[in-house]
Amino acid sequence: MNSTPMEDPLTLYGQSFSSRLLLGTARYDSPSVLVDGISAADPAMLTVSLRRQISGPKESGQSFWNLLRETQRAILPNTAGCLSAGEAVTTACMARELFQTNFIKLEVIGDELSLQPDPFGLVEAARELVRRGFQVLPYCTEDWVLCRRLMDAGCEVLMPWAAPIGTGQGPRNPRALRELRERAPQTPLIVDAGIGLPSQACQVMEWGFDGVLLNTAVSRALDPVRMASAFAEAVKGGRSAFLAGPMIVQEIAVPSTPEIGRPFGSGTSRLETQVPGSMPM
Amino acid sequence: MSLIVNGQTHPLPEPRTLAALLRLLSPAAPFVVARNEEVIPQGTYEECPIFAGDKIEIVRPAAGGLR
Repeated sequence: MNSTPMEDPLTLYGQSFSSRLLLGTARYDSPSVLVDGISAADPAMLTVSLRRQISGPKESGQSFWNLLRETQRAILPNTAGCLSAGEAVTTACMARELFQTNFIKLEVIGDELSLQPDPFGLVEAARELVRRGFQVLPYCTEDWVLCRRLMDAGCEVLMPWAAPIGTGQGPRNPRALRELRERAPQTPLIVDAGIGLPSQACQVMEWGFDGVLLNTAVSRALDPVRMASAFAEAVKGGRSAFLAGPMIVQEIAVPSTPEIGRPFGSGTSRLETQVPGSMPM
Repeated sequence: MSLIVNGQTHPLPEPRTLAALLRLLSPAAPFVVARNEEVIPQGTYEECPIFAGDKIEIVRPAAGGLR
């Protein structure tokens, strides 16, 4: 491990990560593309799932396991596909036994068409998993009441969607996402699902979100490795812009070039005043 | 006298323990097992009895992002 202190780490349940990008491991054309994509994205965590053992080549599960270990990335198991709180809790327990981590990305799907989270099952499962010592990262909507209930249940991190899973539409409800950011200023918020472009990832980071979780936007790009790199840069850029403090949007034009001393000017006018907050140069 | 393994009917093994079932199925490692929605810790398979009608899930790591 690098002993130098991280600059601006992402901290989740007391664990610090140097990257603010989390990457899913599904839908890549080949294991080598996945490995190269991971290198390019430099993600804090990799999301993985559990699936039934089926008869067939025994190498597939083992090779994926070996691939995960070789990346030396933190693993974030998910409960993808669970349709009830009970299924999600059991899946989480199996994931903990297998991956030896208390982290769990909690998914309880409430609608098969939109893959929208089930808010009721989500809160029920979160409460039980927290009771069992899990560190729960719930995939949720941007609904404030739901998010508050999840925090009340003991979730220290929330993962609101930008848009339905796999759509790549980008933030569907920017106003609600930004209100969530404002109302939960101390809670790490990771935008999860629906991001399709680096500009969208950059945008939510500029709004002050703490991280972005991606899968399809990278894995289904024509060049996933290049796209992984683009997302990594976008997330960093958005975070830097947030920390830098964006200017306040103005309703009317404000000249950036000083008016004083402008050649061909006709004396003092309303515009020949210094722009508030600017340094005379 | 059977049980359900990953959604499929399977005859009960002899002896009727989870370890005996796993010897028959020889799933590729790594895997984890749940019996009737309770996770069975590795190392306790010999002591874990199984009964007719039990629902056994054997799962492995898989690629995943979201649903």
